Amino acid sequence: MNRVVLAERLVPNIFRLVVEAPEMARVARPGQFAIVIPDEKGERVPINLADWDRDRGIIDLIFLNLGVSTRKLARFKAGDSIQAVVGPLGRPAEIGNFGHVLLVGGCYGLAGLYPLAKGFKQAGNKVTFLVEGRDEAFIFWEDREKKISDSYQKVLRADCFASGDDLGKIISQLKVNSPDLSRVVVMGCSYLLFIVSKITRELNLKTMVNLNPVMVDGTGMCGACRVTVNGQTYFACVDGPEFDGHGVDWTEYFNRRKAFLRQEEQALSSYLNKTLD
Amino acid sequence: MSRDEILEPGLKEKLSRQRDQEWRKALRRDVSAKKRLESRRHKMPEQPAARRATNFLEVNLGYSLEMAREEAQRCLDCGDPGCVSGCPVAIDIPTFIKYIESREIALALATLRETNGLPAICGRVCPQEVQCEKNCNLIKAGKEPVAIGHLERFAADYVSSDDQTVIESACGQAQGEKIAVVGSGPAGLTAAADLARLGYQVTVFEGLHLPGGVLTYGIPEFRLPRFILNQEIDFIRSLGVEIKTNFLVGRTATLTDLSQAGYRAFFIGTGAGLPSFMNIPGENLLGVFSANEYLTRVNLMKAFKFPEYDTPVPVVKKAAVIGGGNVAMDAVRTALRLGAKEAAIYYRRSRVEMPARVEEVKHAEEEGIIFNFLTVPVRYVGDDRGRLKGLVLQRLTLGEPDTSGRRRPVPLPGSEFEVEAELAVVAIGQSPNPLLIRQVEGLKLGKWGNIEADPVTMATNLDGIYAGGDAVRGGATVILAMGDGRRAARAIDQWLRKC
Repeated sequence: MNRVVLAERLVPNIFRLVVEAPEMARVARPGQFAIVIPDEKGERVPINLADWDRDRGIIDLIFLNLGVSTRKLARFKAGDSIQAVVGPLGRPAEIGNFGHVLLVGGCYGLAGLYPLAKGFKQAGNKVTFLVEGRDEAFIFWEDREKKISDSYQKVLRADCFASGDDLGKIISQLKVNSPDLSRVVVMGCSYLLFIVSKITRELNLKTMVNLNPVMVDGTGMCGACRVTVNGQTYFACVDGPEFDGHGVDWTEYFNRRKAFLRQEEQALSSYLNKTLD
Repeated sequence: MSRDEILEPGLKEKLSRQRDQEWRKALRRDVSAKKRLESRRHKMPEQPAARRATNFLEVNLGYSLEMAREEAQRCLDCGDPGCVSGCPVAIDIPTFIKYIESREIALALATLRETNGLPAICGRVCPQEVQCEKNCNLIKAGKEPVAIGHLERFAADYVSSDDQTVIESACGQAQGEKIAVVGSGPAGLTAAADLARLGYQVTVFEGLHLPGGVLTYGIPEFRLPRFILNQEIDFIRSLGVEIKTNFLVGRTATLTDLSQAGYRAFFIGTGAGLPSFMNIPGENLLGVFSANEYLTRVNLMKAFKFPEYDTPVPVVKKAAVIGGGNVAMDAVRTALRLGAKEAAIYYRRSRVEMPARVEEVKHAEEEGIIFNFLTVPVRYVGDDRGRLKGLVLQRLTLGEPDTSGRRRPVPLPGSEFEVEAELAVVAIGQSPNPLLIRQVEGLKLGKWGNIEADPVTMATNLDGIYAGGDAVRGGATVILAMGDGRRAARAIDQWLRKC
């Protein structure tokens, strides 16, 4: 059991839990995630590590309130105990001195990018944030991320599928203005990962994406999180979650994320009926 | 050093000393060998096939006391008990059986516990037909062997045990030195139990949220009910073993970290957690699962109780399972229980080469599982939404024997055919989970990525690091893993205390 020390709603659909997990906090690195089990009957839910404090032995979990599991997590209050938290899982993101690094994020992806930004900054990079969201009300941690980056830009579009053009223009312009821009890292919803990879492929700009496929154990045992990258199958939980965005088989990725859509809807309606009673 | 020398120094003498006890002599006198040979082996009572195919309750119901006693009476208590040498942990089989014959079930269980930390589990999942029962002298007399597995299960279920036997070490009692066991499957739990009995302070680290390893995520409840497993794990805890779940050694901490935290020796029992796929087209379609994922969803996450439990599993009309081992049997019978109208095995060799336990195959057939031999999938077929709708299979014939001694399956060109299925489970084997073992610097690995360890002491090439079970063997049985754990515990004791 892991005790919650702080619970807050960051934006209408995104929540933050700060949880005691001293062993994980001691060794966590940017790009890694935790598996969280809300209660005895809950799923094993992968959540990116958004921050950690080695001295206080706490980690930050930030998640989109979507299905049953995340709705259960969203109900936790400070002082409650979560069934289980295990990690850090996955390989840490590749951090080095690449000159100028662009971090593109949206939705819950803004959270996982924060430790990455710190890591890249420490490694001597110039760091630019490019943040995508429906509108101002869905952006969080702007102050934090401005503080640790060299520049910070936002693209706000009510229809996120229309944001590709704006992102394309901004990234192309950045490439022109900053010749040492040599790496992009993307975190957030599948569409954002896909569209940014498509844009940067044309610009021949190395791009790493943090994939979030369906997972069960998260320790390399089950293969639920199979993704195809450059023609080869990988297990995202142990070989990733960071992969070369230009090599990802996106059709397969989008499809495999929908594996249990019907059951997820069924579970949600059953859960909502129960909690409303 | 041989297996028997490290496990049970003086095993032969011990067996004959036990056999020469007055009560044993009296039993042999009371009932003649001729009479013992008259009765037939008692069948295990089971749930009727039609009913059990729709539930996850245990198939086997267990012997009654009277049945167990009668079955025990079939044992001749022979002077040369082949059964013991067929047992990977060298259980004193005649003694525990004769205790059952004398209605001393608690003593029977104590005898089992001396050498086997998990008798309720072994009685259920061991392939007795190729181990102890294969060497039963009744076979030479033209009879069926004594049902040793059923009797072991009976003893373990009939009485609860608070046995706290201390293992006498040639080195004297240990002084509570800390030892880390990585993985809480059968190898790890057995090593932990024996190390605790030798006087060590043992911590078992488990990456998942429940202990048991393959016993928890792999073996279904209809073969091994969870309350039985939990009782066995509680027993091991009662010996003083601490089990730390949600702690993935290799990520949460490295062996070096643990060593700095004061752990003096390590046993790696991380199992064969990496599922194999065939690398054929369509393997990443929705509906194609590794057996590990399919069984983990159902067994560990309880997806068979969805939506009461949150983790889903597909419920289909037609299920295809690729493979012929115990895991394949577990997967196909699970699919049936989840509601499949048709659940079929596709195996590339013929019936006689199937590695599954005889009892599992028999149960599966009774339940209506369809067996297709000498067939192998060549690709999976999807619909326009990327969901599996069928398999293209190829027929094979058996050629010359391969390195395993089994005849090698050879494809028959032009024999492809298609079957419908919305679920395919790939159960063709696993290799050792690489997460931890690849990051232990200098650890010698075999060609399948398995840890190389001394077959008797289970010592790796690194001082103080021992390994066993599927992490070494690549894909074996519960009992072989337990044998490794037992021998490693003794070898660790001898290494630590330099005796």
